[in-house]
Amino acid sequence: MRKSSPLTYFTLVIAIALSAFPLYWLFVVATRSNDVVGDWPPPLLPGGNLFDNISRLFSAEEANFLKGMVNSAIASVIVTVAVVFFSTLAGFAFAKLQFRGRNGLLLVILATMMIPVQMGIIPLYMIMVQLGWQDRLQAVIVPFLVSAFGVFLMRQYAERAVPDELVEAARIDGCTTFRIYRTVVLPALRPGAAVLGLFTFMSTWNEFLWPLAVLEADNPTVQFSLSQLSTSYYTDYTLMFAGALVATVPLLLVFLAFGRQIIGGIMEGAVKA
Amino acid sequence: MAASPVSTKDIMLVIHDRPKTATRPAKASTPRERGSFLSRVDAKGSPYLFVAPFFVVFAVFGLFPLIYTAWVSLHKWDAGGDAGFVGLANYGELFGDPDFWNAVGNTVGMLVLATVPQLLLALILASLLNQRLRGLLLLRMGVLLPIVTSVAAVGIVFSQIFDRDAGMVNGLLGLVGVTPVDWRADKWSSWIAISTMVNWRWIGYNSLIYLAAMQSIPRDLYEAATVDGASKVRQFWSITVPMIRPALIFTVIVSTIAGMQLFTEPLIFGQGTFAISGGSLRQFQTVSMYMFEKAFRDFDYGYGSAVAWMIFLLITILAVINFLITRRAK
Amino acid sequence: MSVRPRRTLLAAALAAALALTGACGGAAQEAGSGPVTLIVKTFGQFGYDGLYKEYEASHPGVTIKEENVGKLGDYTPKLQQWMAAGSGAGDVVALEEGIISQYMAKPDQFVNLLDHGAAALQPNFLEWKWKQALTADAKKLIGLGTDIGAQGMCYRTDLFAKAGLPTDREQVGALWPTWDAYLETGKRFMAANTGAHFYDSSGGLYQNIVMQQSDHTYYDTANNLVIDSNPAVKTAWDKTVAMVKAGLSASIDQYSPPWNAGFKNGTFATIACPSWMLATIQKQAGPENSGKWDVAKVPGDGAVRGGSFLGVPTQSKHQNEAVELVKFLTSAQGQTAAFKAKSNFPSSPQAIDDPAVQSFTNPYFGNAPVGKIFGASAKAIRPVYLGPATVAIGDRVTNALTAVEQGKLQPDEAWAKAVDEAKRLVK
Repeated sequence: MRKSSPLTYFTLVIAIALSAFPLYWLFVVATRSNDVVGDWPPPLLPGGNLFDNISRLFSAEEANFLKGMVNSAIASVIVTVAVVFFSTLAGFAFAKLQFRGRNGLLLVILATMMIPVQMGIIPLYMIMVQLGWQDRLQAVIVPFLVSAFGVFLMRQYAERAVPDELVEAARIDGCTTFRIYRTVVLPALRPGAAVLGLFTFMSTWNEFLWPLAVLEADNPTVQFSLSQLSTSYYTDYTLMFAGALVATVPLLLVFLAFGRQIIGGIMEGAVKA
Repeated sequence: MAASPVSTKDIMLVIHDRPKTATRPAKASTPRERGSFLSRVDAKGSPYLFVAPFFVVFAVFGLFPLIYTAWVSLHKWDAGGDAGFVGLANYGELFGDPDFWNAVGNTVGMLVLATVPQLLLALILASLLNQRLRGLLLLRMGVLLPIVTSVAAVGIVFSQIFDRDAGMVNGLLGLVGVTPVDWRADKWSSWIAISTMVNWRWIGYNSLIYLAAMQSIPRDLYEAATVDGASKVRQFWSITVPMIRPALIFTVIVSTIAGMQLFTEPLIFGQGTFAISGGSLRQFQTVSMYMFEKAFRDFDYGYGSAVAWMIFLLITILAVINFLITRRAK
Repeated sequence: MSVRPRRTLLAAALAAALALTGACGGAAQEAGSGPVTLIVKTFGQFGYDGLYKEYEASHPGVTIKEENVGKLGDYTPKLQQWMAAGSGAGDVVALEEGIISQYMAKPDQFVNLLDHGAAALQPNFLEWKWKQALTADAKKLIGLGTDIGAQGMCYRTDLFAKAGLPTDREQVGALWPTWDAYLETGKRFMAANTGAHFYDSSGGLYQNIVMQQSDHTYYDTANNLVIDSNPAVKTAWDKTVAMVKAGLSASIDQYSPPWNAGFKNGTFATIACPSWMLATIQKQAGPENSGKWDVAKVPGDGAVRGGSFLGVPTQSKHQNEAVELVKFLTSAQGQTAAFKAKSNFPSSPQAIDDPAVQSFTNPYFGNAPVGKIFGASAKAIRPVYLGPATVAIGDRVTNALTAVEQGKLQPDEAWAKAVDEAKRLVK
C-alpha cells in the first residue's frame, strides 16, 4: 500500500483550505449585522448575528424559505433515488449486455446532454400547462427522473467495475438479468453509484432556472426562495448568505452519508477480484 | 478496448487461480423448468427494458422542447409571439453576427482554461487521496466542499475576490508591486477570473469521479509493479491513468459539454442589470448568455432558438473531437 | 397564435400516454358568478399588501393572491413564457416601462382598458405616463401607470463640506441648474482631493440627460431608428463623456457589491437617485451615516427613469374584476398608499399633490422634503417618445460608456460602436 508522505498531507491541507475558504467567508458574512460584502479589507472574523439573521430568514414572507427547503428535500430525494436506480440499470445494460442498436441508443442519450437547457423552458412550461402541473412539485421532479449524465457515468464505471466473469457465472446459474443486476452489478457499482447519488442530489438541490420558471413564490424550491430575498435594486447580503448557509446544511449531511458509501466501496474494491 | 499492452483479464489470470466469488449469488436461481424460452426472452428483452425509462421520460419531456425550439428557430418572433415563418434566415443572420462569434470565442477560451488545468489537478488530487491517510473521510469530504456551496453565493464571493478596488487578488498583487487589474475590463483577465471560479468548484467533483474509478483497480497490479521496481510516478502514468480511461473520457466529455453551456458563473461575475452582456464589450459573454439575451431580453425568441441549435451543433462537434483525442492518446 | 393546433395534438397525445394527471393548479374558477380569486403578478416591491386587504374588505367574494418575483430580470422571462404558453399570467400583470414598450407593437395580448371605461381616468395620470401605454393610433390602452422613477440628486453632505461646497440642499440645487454646471461643480469637487469621486458611474447620468433633451430619443414617432441623426442623443453622449474625461466617475457598476458598499464608505459624492433608491441608500449606508446623505434637485428640467404599469392579460378568466382591481390600485389613493409603503413615487398628479406625499420628509436624509423634490421633478419633465427597443439600446449605450470609463475605447470609437449595435439590433 502506498505510504503517504508529509508532502501529501501538506498539499491536501492547502487544497482543503482553498476549497473551504469561500464557504468560510459565507459563514462570516452570515454572522454579521450589516453589509460587509464590499468592504476592504474583507472581514475575516465572524460576528455574533447568526441567529438573528437566521430568524429573519425564516420569517421573510417573500422567501417562504422553510417551504423551499422542504420542497427541495422531497424533490431531491425522489430524483436521486430514481436517477441512481435507472442509471445503474441502463449503465449496466450499455456496458455489459449485448443488444442491437446499443451504440446508437447510447449516442442518442449522449446527444441529449448537449442540448442547452435554457431554451427548453418555454416548451416544457407548455407541457406543464397541459398536465396542470404549474406551480406543483411534480413539475420539478418527473422530467428529471432519468438523467443522461447518470446513464453515461454508470456505463463508464460498469465497464471496469463489473467483472464479466461474475456476470457470466451468474447467467450460467440461470439468474434473470434483473437478478444479476441486483446481486452482482449493484454491489460492484457502489462507489460510482454513491458518487452519482451525491451529485444528483446536489444538482437537484441547486437547480434554479426551471423551478423559477414553473413554480411561484408560494411553492418554491430552496434556490428560488433564496433569490426572493433580493430585488433588482437591493440585496441584503447578510440575509442572503445566511440563507445560502442554511441551504448548504442538508447537502453537507447527505455528503457525509454518501461519503461513507464511497469509503465502504473502497474496502470492497480491495477484496474484489 | 484499452490500448495498454496488458489487459485486466491477463493480469487476473496470472495472479489468481480463479475469480473470487465473494459476491456470487448464494443460491442458484430457480430451475431449468422455468424454460429456456423465458430466459431467452429475458436475455434479449431485458436490455431494452433497462434502457427504456430514459427514452420514455425523454419522449414525454425532452422531445417536444427539441421540436418546438427547432420550429421556433425558423420563425421571426417578437413580444407579440410568432411573427411569421422565415425559414433559415435566423441561421443565416447568425453566421454573420459578430456578437455570436465573439461569444463562441469567449466560450471556447474559457472552456480550455476551465478544463485542462482542472482535470489535471483533479487527477493529481485523486491520486493523493487514493492512499492510506489519516482523517481520510474528512480530507475527501473537504475537497468536495466547493460543490456543496451555493452557486450564487460563490459567484458573489469570487466577484469580490476579483474586484477592481476592494478585491483580494488585487490586494495580493499590490503586495508584490503589480498594478491592480480591472478583471472585468479585458478578455484575458475576465476569463482567468471565471475559469478560476469554475475550476475551484469542479476540481473536487472530478477528483471524486477519478477516485471512485481508482478504487476499482486491483491492488495487486501496483504490488506487482513495485516488485518490478517501477517508481510511483511511473505506476501512476502506466497503471492508474490507463485503468481509469473510461472515467477520463467521461470527465473530458462532460466538462466539454458543461463548459460550452457556461452560464451562471459569468452572469454573476458581470454585475448590474445588464450583466447578461458579459462585460462592457462582451468580453466574457458565453454563447448561453448570448442566447438568453436574445431570447428573453430582446424578446427575439426565434433568434435565440437558432442560437440554441447552433450551440448544440458546436457542442457535438467539440465533444466528438475531444472523445477522439482522449481515446487515441497514449 | 399558431401554437394552438400543436397544443391540441400534444394534449391528446399526453392524455393518452399518461394515466394520472395532477389536480389542476391555480385557483381561478368559472368567470361571472361566485367567489373570485384574482392573481396579481408583480416583481420587486409594489407595496400593495395593505391595498389588497382594503379591496378584499370592500369587495366581498374577491380574494387577491399576489405572486411575486424579486428581480425584474427573473420576472421578464416568466412573463414571456406565460404569453407564449397562453397560460400562467394570472389576472393582473405588472409591466415595467421597458417591457410595455415592447408590447405596444402587438397589444392584443392585453385587454384594451379603453373598452372598460379607462378613458375617463386620463386626467388621473401624468400626460407622458398615460401615453406610454397607449398605442400610436390612440385606440388601445394596455396599462394604467403605477409608479415613476422621479429623480433627485442625492449627495453626501460631509464630502461636500470637505470640498468646500455648500451643503444646504437649496444651495446645492442652485449649484447645478444645468448639466454643464454639474460638470463644473464636479471639477471643483475633484480638485479638492477628498479621496472620493463625484458620481458612481456614467450610465445612470446619461439616461437622465438624454431624456431631458428632446421629445424623442432613439426612435422617432414613426418608430424609425434615429439614434445617429437625433442631436439630442449625441448631445447627451458628449456631455457625459466630458464628465468621464474630467475624472468625475468612480466607474462602479450600479447594484454591484462595491456600489452597495460605496454608500457606506463614501466612494462617490453624488448619485442621481429615484425615490425608491432612498430606501436602498439608507439600508446600505446604515444608521451610523444618518444625515450624511441629503437630496437636492436634479440638474435640468426634471428627470425620470423608468416606472411601471398594471395590465390585464387576455388570458385572464376574470377580466372585468381584474380591470376594477387595476383601476383601484392605480388610483390616486392607491398610489399614495404604495408611496407610503415602499417609496414608489406616484404617477398620478392628484397623488403627487396629495398632502401626504407633498409633506413627506425622510428623516434619514436630514428631513429632506422628498415628496416635494420628486414631485417637482416628475412634473417638470416633458413627454418623451420611447420606441420598442429603447431599453435595449440604452443598455448598449451604457456599455459603450463603461468601455470609455474602463479606458478600453476612445469616445469616438465607443459612440460608433453604440450606433452600430443599435442598428444591428433593430434592423
